[in-house]
Amino acid sequence: MALDRCPDCSATLPEDARYCPACGVPVAPDAPIRLRREEPSPWAQFLDAAWDFFASVRVAVVLIVLIALAAIGGTLVEQEGLYQDWRPPELYYPARYGPLLGRLLMATGLTHTYTSWWFLTLVYLLVISLIVCSLQRLVPLHRALQKPTVEKHLGFLLRQPVQARLPAQGADPLAPLAETLRRRGYRVWREGKGLHADRGRLGRYGPYIIHIGLIICALAAGAKALPGVDVTHDLWVENGQTVALPGTRLAIRNNRFIMETYPNGMPKLFQTQATLLEDGREVLHHNIEVNKPLVYGPWWGPWEIYQASWREEPGIAHLELVAGDRVLGKVDLDLKSPAREYQVTPEVRVVVERYFHDFDLDPATGQPVNRSREIANPVFLLRFVGPDGQEVGRQALNVAIQPGVEARSVAEGPYALRQIGISSRWYTGLRARRDLTVPYMYGGLGVVMVGMYITFFVFHRQIWALDLGTEVVLGARTNKDRWGLQQEVRRIARALGGELTVGNGVERSPGSTGA
Amino acid sequence: MASHWLLAVAFFSYLAASILYVAGFIGQRRLALAAAGAAGGQATGVGPGGTPAAGEFYWKAPGWAFALATLGTLAHAGGILARWQGAGHWPTANLYEFVGFMSFCSMVAFQVLYRLYRFPVLGALATPVTVALLAYSYVFPREVEPLIPQLRSHWLTLHVSFAALGEGFFAVAFAAALLYLLRTREAEKESRLAGLALESIFWFASTVLTFVVLAYLLRYVLGQEWAIVLDRGVARYHLPPIIGPEGSTPGQAGSLFGLPLPLVAVPGWIKGKNANTFLFAVALGTPVYYLLRRLLCRGLPFREALARLAQGLDADLLDEISYRAVAIGYPVFTLGALVFAMFWAKVAWGRYWFWDPKETWAFISWLIYSAYLHLRLTRGWEGRVSAWMAVIGFGAILFTLVGVNLLIVGLHSYAGGDL
Repeated sequence: MALDRCPDCSATLPEDARYCPACGVPVAPDAPIRLRREEPSPWAQFLDAAWDFFASVRVAVVLIVLIALAAIGGTLVEQEGLYQDWRPPELYYPARYGPLLGRLLMATGLTHTYTSWWFLTLVYLLVISLIVCSLQRLVPLHRALQKPTVEKHLGFLLRQPVQARLPAQGADPLAPLAETLRRRGYRVWREGKGLHADRGRLGRYGPYIIHIGLIICALAAGAKALPGVDVTHDLWVENGQTVALPGTRLAIRNNRFIMETYPNGMPKLFQTQATLLEDGREVLHHNIEVNKPLVYGPWWGPWEIYQASWREEPGIAHLELVAGDRVLGKVDLDLKSPAREYQVTPEVRVVVERYFHDFDLDPATGQPVNRSREIANPVFLLRFVGPDGQEVGRQALNVAIQPGVEARSVAEGPYALRQIGISSRWYTGLRARRDLTVPYMYGGLGVVMVGMYITFFVFHRQIWALDLGTEVVLGARTNKDRWGLQQEVRRIARALGGELTVGNGVERSPGSTGA
Repeated sequence: MASHWLLAVAFFSYLAASILYVAGFIGQRRLALAAAGAAGGQATGVGPGGTPAAGEFYWKAPGWAFALATLGTLAHAGGILARWQGAGHWPTANLYEFVGFMSFCSMVAFQVLYRLYRFPVLGALATPVTVALLAYSYVFPREVEPLIPQLRSHWLTLHVSFAALGEGFFAVAFAAALLYLLRTREAEKESRLAGLALESIFWFASTVLTFVVLAYLLRYVLGQEWAIVLDRGVARYHLPPIIGPEGSTPGQAGSLFGLPLPLVAVPGWIKGKNANTFLFAVALGTPVYYLLRRLLCRGLPFREALARLAQGLDADLLDEISYRAVAIGYPVFTLGALVFAMFWAKVAWGRYWFWDPKETWAFISWLIYSAYLHLRLTRGWEGRVSAWMAVIGFGAILFTLVGVNLLIVGLHSYAGGDL
């Protein structure tokens, strides 16, 4: 006994359908032909059950909704790597959410939702569902579209959403209809008293093209977990310096970093005027800006270097050597890595005894220490040495790094260094990346978009006609755009001297459709 | 600025169009009911809308409304172009510009679907949604701001415009799905939960309305301000700060009727000021909801009153319009909100996907509409279940657009979002 409507998608079924022409699900009772003489093995039974499970649209919808819910969970908790704090996760989360909740969130994986085992499990279950659903439906759909039933019962035609009646003229009343339909780009079959025509059947393949694209995207995203596929290096490069890209023969030189602001103080431009070197040879000059990365290498996996950040740091203290009120000479002390000693005048040498870039006294021992790794409170312990190598004085100098703050200093003996200025050191923060999944991901997205265009904008129109001797009855349906189909059938019917009888779901008495 | 004037023209055209659409729709329904009553031999008193002249008005109103809506759309397009000219960049860079642009897109979607279906009731639904969105945009600061380096890209235009266009279609799909839910509602069979869920949509609309009016009044009319001094700067509130920002101490902004301000401080991942505004909207939106219900529906729940009006509409047609709007909006949204977003993220940040809250929510919305498209194909889940999905999907869209910017801190923070 044949079903009237598809149990899976509720599309109207042809009388003798074994597969639903809309979604491809087997509908006839004898459709899943499993001729087995003996009881199937438990393994085969399990595979059958698994296949049926993943082939269900309901299961797919439930998986989609579960993934959406899981993703919502991930947006409610700050994710590892996205929070703006220097602390590692095991310190950050207990501090942020309280010790109990913090540890609970970390244990359940909600702090890294999108790489957690349960999220990835859901995603790959959906990928399996995509593959099985597509295989299950694509093959029967293709068969049904290639070999349609041409001669239908009148009852089938009278159930179609758009219907028309044409006068039966001539020896072959279906011939002018066939001709008209062919001219409109339809594929036409004839069989006995029946005619079938269709156009835009490509639209029916659209969903499967989307699914293939999505599978490619999911595999590309999954490949990121493989070593070496997705590599990132953060580089801090001082103006004028060159830094090697680890693991490659490349190096990048920052010729100059510039920053521009709008009159209101908002940043306008961050730019690194960079040179790329390969084996020490200059291969590329590029001004790296936000939205304009440097790209070098083959199209399938180039290195891309992005403007990620910048930093200004106290660089060089400009000082003069004084004896009383007399200026004897000038000297520049590097605040990052000062030289061991500086010959300021032929008579006086300044020896850097000790240097603290962030001076503090350890409260426990009372010894001078560095409080952090920043250059935040630079202190020099200096010794002045005469031409004969004799020590002629000492000084402890606290260089002022903020404008408007005086340098502090304690000196013994006739000499002292006096600060007259300070200049900054500029670093550009570059992020070098090579992601081999990009072409596959973009390819997958391209396939998805082509599939979407085909699915949503190519309409599959199907027309059946029966020659009843006195008149020709025409029934038509489409998977989308019923309005457009109705317009087209009305035009065809009028051209052949007939009229539309049923359209847009509303039955009309003959004559009411005419303008 | 010319754009402000053009936007005002658009706003009032939409408003007049929505009033005409709704009045025409209600008038026609009443006439139909009265006619049915008369035909049934009952002595129903024909109301004030029963005179022949008024009847003619009701039948003509949708035509005028469509003309006004079209005028509004053109003025709105002019306003967007004028702001583009004036600002020097495509005006989708902050929430004021973006929400306004989205309301324009919902009107474009309405125009497209109206051309496909010629169904005036669509106007009675789509124009109020557009008016609400455009009114909402006025809550945000209107100043043109120069673009920070991250936004200086052609992808800004492509990504945001296509995403907004898709969302415009989703707005129309939402309107049609809501009407479908009202039309197919069976009062006797409705469970308590289902009734609450349906009614909560109207409660939410009242809350948004309250929120818009409140934010507008306090910022532009009263000019009230509460300042909370923090280590990193000053947080300026335009509402009494019950929920303070991270790091504020209770009571530091004085008190209101003996209640210390702020009462509590939020953790850093929530924007305290916006959570505060949200609290006020919810607290005041509920009485406003009951007030509107009394004024507009004679105290009946909205779903009850509107379901009566919706009787006699073609439920299948509503379902098809909703589906068709999603079928157009979904590919456009996919292109704008996901594909172009990934291209831009790759160029600007070096990675095509970050799981940043905003892009995650765009993905969640996309999943919901994907589920909608499949539900509609599934026996037993077509009809009301699918229609609910279209309603929930638009909720997710609104949260993506506004909620994420306002409540969650993320990479898209620069897209505005201080109220």
